[in-house]
Amino acid sequence: MKKDNKLKLNLQAILTDLLIWIYILGCVSFLVNHWFEKIIQTNFVVIFGVAAGFISFILGLSIGRKIFLPTIKTEGKWYKTFWGWSVFLLLLITFIVGWNLVEVDLYKLFAKFQNAGGIMKGIFNPNMDIFMQCLAALAETIYLALLATAFAIPLAFFLSFFAARNLMPQTFLGNTVYIIVRTIATIFRSIEAIVWAIIFSVWVGIGPFAGMLALMIHSIASLTKLYSEQIENINPGPVEAIKATGANTIQTWIFAVVPQIISPFLAFTIYRWDINVRMATIVGFVGGGGIGLLLLQQQQMLRWQNVGIIIWMIAIVVWIMDMVSAKVRGKLQEM
Amino acid sequence: MKNIIEIKNLHKIYAKGTHAIKGINLDVKEGEFCILLGLSGSGKSTLLRCLNRLIEPTSGEIYIDGEDVIGAKGQKLRYIRRKIGMIFQQFNLIQNLSSITNVLTGKLGYSTLIHSLTFPQHKEDMKTALDNLSRVGLKEFADKKTRNLSGGQQQRVAIARALMQNPKIILADEPVASLDPATADSVMQYLGELNKSDNMTVICSLHFLSLARKYGSRVIALKDGKIVFDGTPKEIDEKRFKEIYGEDAEEVEIR
Repeated sequence: MKKDNKLKLNLQAILTDLLIWIYILGCVSFLVNHWFEKIIQTNFVVIFGVAAGFISFILGLSIGRKIFLPTIKTEGKWYKTFWGWSVFLLLLITFIVGWNLVEVDLYKLFAKFQNAGGIMKGIFNPNMDIFMQCLAALAETIYLALLATAFAIPLAFFLSFFAARNLMPQTFLGNTVYIIVRTIATIFRSIEAIVWAIIFSVWVGIGPFAGMLALMIHSIASLTKLYSEQIENINPGPVEAIKATGANTIQTWIFAVVPQIISPFLAFTIYRWDINVRMATIVGFVGGGGIGLLLLQQQQMLRWQNVGIIIWMIAIVVWIMDMVSAKVRGKLQEM
Repeated sequence: MKNIIEIKNLHKIYAKGTHAIKGINLDVKEGEFCILLGLSGSGKSTLLRCLNRLIEPTSGEIYIDGEDVIGAKGQKLRYIRRKIGMIFQQFNLIQNLSSITNVLTGKLGYSTLIHSLTFPQHKEDMKTALDNLSRVGLKEFADKKTRNLSGGQQQRVAIARALMQNPKIILADEPVASLDPATADSVMQYLGELNKSDNMTVICSLHFLSLARKYGSRVIALKDGKIVFDGTPKEIDEKRFKEIYGEDAEEVEIR
């Protein structure tokens, strides 16, 4: 057992070193290509990376050793060690590659401000003529966020009990249910609402309904996670006490778990609605309807004064939502 | 008197390897007031929780009122549990519910899900709950959230909840350890009364010998998961006390 473990740690250490050095050499080859327009073959990168990784693992205190085999003594300051220099090189080369990939250009940032002049003028001279049109679109956005949240609540509420470690029995069935619910929630949450909006705008057509569905799916996944974490944080004492009275599992959940989570659940839900209103704007850009769609149309027609009024109205709504939700959440916490 | 609890060669080994209960054999007669003594970690809580299977024993046999506890599953286990009221050191009430609702939860083992969701509509349940609350002197606190009650009041609500089960046995896991001495004694008085006038069998873990002498009819001492003393409270002298609690222990009086 112990021997296996040591072998495993050594393997992990060496693999880490190999990957790090392949990455470093990959970065070097990118920079050579970028600056000198000379192409370095991929197999060279891999071969030299593997070689460098092996050498560093055998010769010195490499990063892999430092992470996975901490029994090895480290002496002195980081700049006197091999792993210290390796980390420094890693960070430095990552930064340089990043700078080049992102095409950072400080000249453009400071010297070409006048290009944005039109937008700035528009923002500070908003076109009040389309105020009512904006209001209608905003209402669409707020209501679609509200519906998305409302539809997400019961499903997330139900699912969260099965995604809470402390409620699922430590049996094969319990563990399986827990892992499946958790995994699905994680996957659905890692797909951004904007991607869901693209899918649904094809599915049900461009408009607020597509946006609502996108936010709903994302909200279910997020709320399931937040709710279940809240359940995992409850005081286990009352659960024990209710179980001891001879209550069945559902009674135990209703009487010992639900009263403990109801106010944090409400707080999270209001917070989620707040997030959904903001996301609804973005989702609108890709076919989710509402103010986002209007903003996209006006922006593409370069009507900066119309864009201006939309931006102001979004800002005001987000600001109000933020304040209201903070107030309500504060009140809930006192309850 | 018949044995209401029979424990045979009970073992509990936790997943992390701690051997908390090491082969306990114990019979408790109906109507006894047993005091469990022992240091923290001696296995008192584990033993109490094995009796109603809040903790799953590793091996051994337990019979409550003649029924096999270890073999019981589902509804059978819940029927056994409702015969056993339990009281905890931290009271374990649901803090943001009213006292009366907390007391009503004692009835869950007797109720269907629908019935338990509509407790306030069932007059007889409400009446029993109020009666039990008055029995512990808290009738006027029925609608107060338990979070606003003092420690002693909370423990009395917990006793009323246990009474709701109409139990034959009361398990009390250090019921007075979070209370001041005067309150501790009053809580113990309620337990003593249940034992005497309702003939409930009580098993109560404690740290104070003075309370053990005052209320217990039998003292069982645990050390490292084994029974090291089983007798009457009077039999515990200074030598026995040091055997249970270690050489350096001094008896602390509380009244």
